Amino acid sequence: MNSANRTRAFIAVGLLPALLLFVTFVILPILWSAYYGFYDWKGIGKATYIGFDNYAEVIQDPVFWKSLQNNMLIVAASVFGQVPIALVLALLLMKGSRLHTFIRSAVFMPMVLSSVVVGIIWGYIYHPEIGVLNFVLDSIGLGSWKQQWLSDPDVSMYSIMVPIIWNYIGPYLIMFIAALNNIGSDMDDAAKIDGAEGSRKLFSVTLPLIWDTIKVAVVLCISGSLKAFDLIYVMTGGGPAHSTELLASYMYNNTFSIYRYGYGSAVSTTIIIVSLLLVAGSQYLMKRGDRL
Amino acid sequence: MMKKKATVFLTLALAASLALTGCGSKDNETKTEGGKNKVTLTLWHNYSGDDQRAKTMRSIIEQFQSSHPDIKLDVQAIPPDGYRTRLKTVAAANEMPDLFVMWPGVMTKEFQAGNLIQPINELLDSKKEWKDGFLPGSFDGFTVGSDIYSAPIALSPTSILFYNQSILEQNGLQVPKTWDELLHAVDVLKGNKMTPIALGNKAAWLAQSSIFSSLADRVTGTEWFLKAAAQDGAKFTDPEFVKALGYMKQLGDAGAFPAGFNAMDNTQMEQYFAQGKAAMMIDGGWALTNLATSASAEAMAQMGASVLPSMPDGKGDPNTISGVVGTGIAMSNKVTAEEKDAAYELMYAMAGPDAQKRVLESNQLVSYKVDLDTSKVTPIFAKVYELVNTVNRTPVYDGVLGSAAADEVNNGLQELLMGGKPESIAKKIQEAQARAVQTDSK
Repeated sequence: MNSANRTRAFIAVGLLPALLLFVTFVILPILWSAYYGFYDWKGIGKATYIGFDNYAEVIQDPVFWKSLQNNMLIVAASVFGQVPIALVLALLLMKGSRLHTFIRSAVFMPMVLSSVVVGIIWGYIYHPEIGVLNFVLDSIGLGSWKQQWLSDPDVSMYSIMVPIIWNYIGPYLIMFIAALNNIGSDMDDAAKIDGAEGSRKLFSVTLPLIWDTIKVAVVLCISGSLKAFDLIYVMTGGGPAHSTELLASYMYNNTFSIYRYGYGSAVSTTIIIVSLLLVAGSQYLMKRGDRL
Repeated sequence: MMKKKATVFLTLALAASLALTGCGSKDNETKTEGGKNKVTLTLWHNYSGDDQRAKTMRSIIEQFQSSHPDIKLDVQAIPPDGYRTRLKTVAAANEMPDLFVMWPGVMTKEFQAGNLIQPINELLDSKKEWKDGFLPGSFDGFTVGSDIYSAPIALSPTSILFYNQSILEQNGLQVPKTWDELLHAVDVLKGNKMTPIALGNKAAWLAQSSIFSSLADRVTGTEWFLKAAAQDGAKFTDPEFVKALGYMKQLGDAGAFPAGFNAMDNTQMEQYFAQGKAAMMIDGGWALTNLATSASAEAMAQMGASVLPSMPDGKGDPNTISGVVGTGIAMSNKVTAEEKDAAYELMYAMAGPDAQKRVLESNQLVSYKVDLDTSKVTPIFAKVYELVNTVNRTPVYDGVLGSAAADEVNNGLQELLMGGKPESIAKKIQEAQARAVQTDSK
């Protein structure tokens, strides 16, 4: 009893520093920003309480809905792009041969680059004048496929998905490889004895065993995509004419370009609510998948 | 057991060290030495870059320091990108430096309303010749009531029509003087597979600041715009403004701009023009420093500068360029009567006739009458200088509108050039400005 208490006390003390930092730098700012959302405030000067006016404006602003829609596209591209690609790569690259290690590092590489660098690189690839992509299309005789990749609102969101997927496959790949390596060799033996091989083994043994990791990856993917900002900021700034606006860039522009701090705070609170709903929803869906 | 205690201790030590590094980086306070008569002034400026103007300003400050041993300067050079934010932060905390670089217009009004700055009429009136040397309207943005709060050290015309003489000649064209001539030139150049007008509108303000501010002024007249901005007897949904948007759309529809102009930035557009890939470019005075570094001497000799063409049935004066007066030095309200003389001396050193001349010779336009020694600047700078001194100045949209409405104009013009409807864009601009005016008057 005594020793159990002591362990608990130790755990509490051990958690305390991280908890304190988390509360100070994450929880408190969220509450503060929700509070500022009730004010009409320019950053300096007087703040006037205006109740739910900011929130009402958020819901009525077509640009907000456009950003939400774009953000959902990014979430979908990430969940159905990053996670499956990372999973397939992980299954293929599980073994530690030299070639596999090399490809793994190559896939992880973009993650090490600063996203500003990634944004600039892809900005140049898509560039209307000096872009590599249009140049390559021209030189292999596919000139008719040339596009204004970043400034044509019909294609720009899809152009942006590519670097986003490319950039963030790395960490999921590493997570999946770690999970796959955690499956004990006894499982392999058992599967072999039961005659499970190939896709049968994949769907009945391997995937169920790493299902928890996949769930974590999906949650990280959703929350990461809702925070997406840096690549968009560098590549298009949310433009032209809001056509690539995301929730985070919409919030940033309102707060720091137009100096509507109160309204920007209301937007960020709304983003948190949307994220929580999405994460909860995805958890619920995957739980049902569990039971089946 | 001992081991556990040691781990706990280590964890706490780690946490403590993390917390301490956060607050350990405060600068040591510098103490003023010297006798009681020595005056100390703090000065904040954004001349921290490597461009000629910044170097000139820094050397003026250094020279002032060495020739005035009785005045101690505590100077902070802050990178331009973060300057406004830092100034606004200290303004909120009422910890302004004694002297600082300030923008005309909105910032001056805000600081004046917050009782943070004091007027310099006394200094200006004591040096009549200096005051009269400024170009007309130089003090407008720094004036509240009858009080003047600063004197500008720069001028930014925002809409100069730059052209490449040899390209125009090769296509049998002349510098367009009217709207129809411009559309004709666009047609001919398009037909000859040459980009008519370079544009890089990724940051969205460029089309507004450089093209639309002048174009709309020629259509609506300045008076109408100022009324609409004040929401006093005119609205952005009025037919003349919708017409101005229509002309802008016409220019886009005619294919005047390079493909993908919404994905190019201002610098790329200036290089595009400097490399002779476009016949014309509509850009501000800031292009001059970039052209000075990126264009070859031959290319530069071919460049000319003009005003935008006149508009059919326009109510505005076509012989104008939209522009804003640049920053000046302002004085904090906390400067005491004893310090004032020293502060005035420094202000005069930084914005007086000599300083204006030196800034101008650094390829930066000023809002002051100076005889330019053309051998010291690039040929295109000399041409722009001559042009700016012979035309009148009209307001720039984002210099007058509230930031929310200016943002609507920026995004609206992008939308317009992608095929948007003038009427619906005008409506959005009107709504944003009406709301801004309403909250300001509360």
